[in-house]
Amino acid sequence: MAGDADKKTIGIGTPSANPLASDPELLNDFILEAREHLTTIELQLLTLDQDPAHAEAIHAVFRGFHTIKGMAGFLDLDAVRDVAHEVETILDLARNAQLTITSEVIDAILASKDYLSHWLSELEAMLQSGRQPEGQDNRALIALIRGVAPGPGTAPAPAAKLAVTEAPAKPEAAPVADASEGACEAADTEGVTGDVLKLALEVASNEKNEAPSPALSETPAADPLEAQKPSELPAAVARSIKVDTAKLDYLVDMVGEMVIAQSMVRHDPDLATGLKPRLGRNLSQLARITDEVQRTAMSMRMIPIGQLFQKTSRLVRDLSRKASKQVDLELSGEETELDRNIVEELADPLMHMVRNAVDHGIETAEERVARGKSPNAKVLLKAGHQAGHILIQISDDGRGLDCEKLLRKAREKGLIDPDATLTEAETFNLIFHPGFSTAEKITDVSGRGVGMDVVRKHVQKLRGRIEVHSTLGQGTTFLMKLPLTLAIIDGLVVAVGNQRYIVPIFAVREMLKPAEDAISTIRGREEMAMVRGALLPLIRLHQRFGVQPRFDNPWDSLLIVSENGGKQFCLMVDELIGKQEVVIKSLGETMRNIPGVAGGAILGDGRVGLILDLEGLFGTRLDASAA
Amino acid sequence: MTMETVQANPASGNPAAPKVEQRAGKYLTFQLGNEEFAIQVLCVREIMGVQEITAVPQTPCYVKGVINLRGKVIPVVDLRLKFGLPEMEYTQRTCIIVVQIQGQADKLMIGVIVDAVSEVLTLQGSEIEDTPDFGSGVATPYLLGMAKIKGKVKILLDIDRLLSSQEVSGLSF
Repeated sequence: MAGDADKKTIGIGTPSANPLASDPELLNDFILEAREHLTTIELQLLTLDQDPAHAEAIHAVFRGFHTIKGMAGFLDLDAVRDVAHEVETILDLARNAQLTITSEVIDAILASKDYLSHWLSELEAMLQSGRQPEGQDNRALIALIRGVAPGPGTAPAPAAKLAVTEAPAKPEAAPVADASEGACEAADTEGVTGDVLKLALEVASNEKNEAPSPALSETPAADPLEAQKPSELPAAVARSIKVDTAKLDYLVDMVGEMVIAQSMVRHDPDLATGLKPRLGRNLSQLARITDEVQRTAMSMRMIPIGQLFQKTSRLVRDLSRKASKQVDLELSGEETELDRNIVEELADPLMHMVRNAVDHGIETAEERVARGKSPNAKVLLKAGHQAGHILIQISDDGRGLDCEKLLRKAREKGLIDPDATLTEAETFNLIFHPGFSTAEKITDVSGRGVGMDVVRKHVQKLRGRIEVHSTLGQGTTFLMKLPLTLAIIDGLVVAVGNQRYIVPIFAVREMLKPAEDAISTIRGREEMAMVRGALLPLIRLHQRFGVQPRFDNPWDSLLIVSENGGKQFCLMVDELIGKQEVVIKSLGETMRNIPGVAGGAILGDGRVGLILDLEGLFGTRLDASAA
Repeated sequence: MTMETVQANPASGNPAAPKVEQRAGKYLTFQLGNEEFAIQVLCVREIMGVQEITAVPQTPCYVKGVINLRGKVIPVVDLRLKFGLPEMEYTQRTCIIVVQIQGQADKLMIGVIVDAVSEVLTLQGSEIEDTPDFGSGVATPYLLGMAKIKGKVKILLDIDRLLSSQEVSGLSF
């Protein structure tokens, strides 16, 4: 056991062997999270110092070290992991009442905590400057921790006492040592082991040894540690802080309100007449600032999509090995940033699609060679911005979707009429149907036909759109178009009677005023509109919502062409008022599930407008006609 | 104490009848038709004049729609319609009382339209009587009790029960 620890004491393992260990994003997360744990640990240890039998505190400390151990193991930080492991061992004994928590035990744990926070600072320095972290010998510390545990006890008392006298010196020495935690740490470890191991000692630590504070050394470790805390925390706080996402959401919400209020002032009719130049200048200045504030607020929630892509790369490796296929994953646009909520929601659908691509889309190497393709298949994951949206592309160069097969399956399952003719897009959209799978056999990975259905649901929830393009024998491409954020949408404000509604722009294909002869009725009830040679069902919004419209004839009104699941339809409204960015508000739990209404938004005049959910509207129409 | 226990007895048929002691406190009174109602002041967030209300489709008729309360969208219920009274034109005296009630998950705000707001009263436990039993078939779960002040009867409402989201959402899909 000791030899094992010795081997892995120095360095951060083998970074080249594990790509995760060298990922700055992950390391940063680790540092942040570990710091949080260490703060908790310290607090709980102080509680334990007062009340050694405090079970909850022991558990809390144990959990903290356990998590750190796990994360460190993941990142190949062996030195950290080993120390955490040792502490965990004695805490486990304490948990099972095999060890009483004495102040020696607490000192040892605190020493480990300091050791770990030193490591974190080293790691942080490495991330910033790129220099390799200084290896810090942990043998002495591990010996100390083992010393306090019952069993092969190796004179724990004297060592621990040294640690106690050491701690009080810190507050004095820290400024001299330029708050160098490295120095503090070295001193700590060195003091603990009683000068047995002359380790990488720096001048500062020597100074500390010369300045013991006898008055304080009598008091329990609590006081000096509290004094020490402030010198450690600011460094961690300054660079990034954790904020409750609810607070952030509220801020973004309020900024949205500010943008709207600002535009209300700017477009006030009273101001429009006889606008003085100075006022005009100030107003534009205000507009610029508001814009900047909005952008900053939004950017606080943005994270790069790269993390998500990385998870898929692991998945591709595992899957391709399992299915003995040769797959190269190509990533592009990892730095594209999008709203944190979206990234989280996107994880599942992305996994599904990558899984589908590798499992169904891509042929085995032999098959590929037989078709004259390179044995190495390619899966491309690409993210990028396009006109205020995020576009995510998942392509493979596999066998592609077979229209004939899709249609046959759909007819077998009775999803479409036997003699129905579908366009290519409609045929591809069949794969999003719940329970639809073209896989001949069900593997443990996929093929149950739930995947793509879930994908589409997720994407719809994110107010995005998904398209499929495929060429038989050459591959399949999925295109996901997602909004940058969930808080604000671009909408068309339309009027019906005296009500105003907001139509999300992503759902709108086109708008038109139809000619009188473009409208036809079926059985005198169902209305259709001829748009670009296609007959589309017509939905009168006023009928659906029970509002008195201004115009009764479709040719006086405005038709909004929208698409739902590959099927287009027209929504009839009175007129278009304008285009506006609106902040989406929930209508509250009492009105959550109203079909056709996605939420509310405060319009320019302070009134509430309902945001339409076109899918829901179209869905209720189908239900109504079926009934 | 003894008196109150005696008073509580008739309500023993109503298992959810709140303790008499808990009913004492400050009440906001308002008018609805010819009747005077009162709700506990603690749940009142604010009172405002009637503003333009955005209708929401497929909700029960007494849900008038939603309004903008300083950036928050809250539903508004017309208490006249909720109680089955005839609808009336809104006047200068018509008010929206914004109350906070306990929803299924969170506390939520709801606007309540009343004919006019009267005053805030402090009611002692002894001034409050239990709702008389109207016999079976008349449900009075959201009545806290009655108070007789200066010869007039005020009906105390349990606003939480009255607007409990089951009641609202149950009718709105």
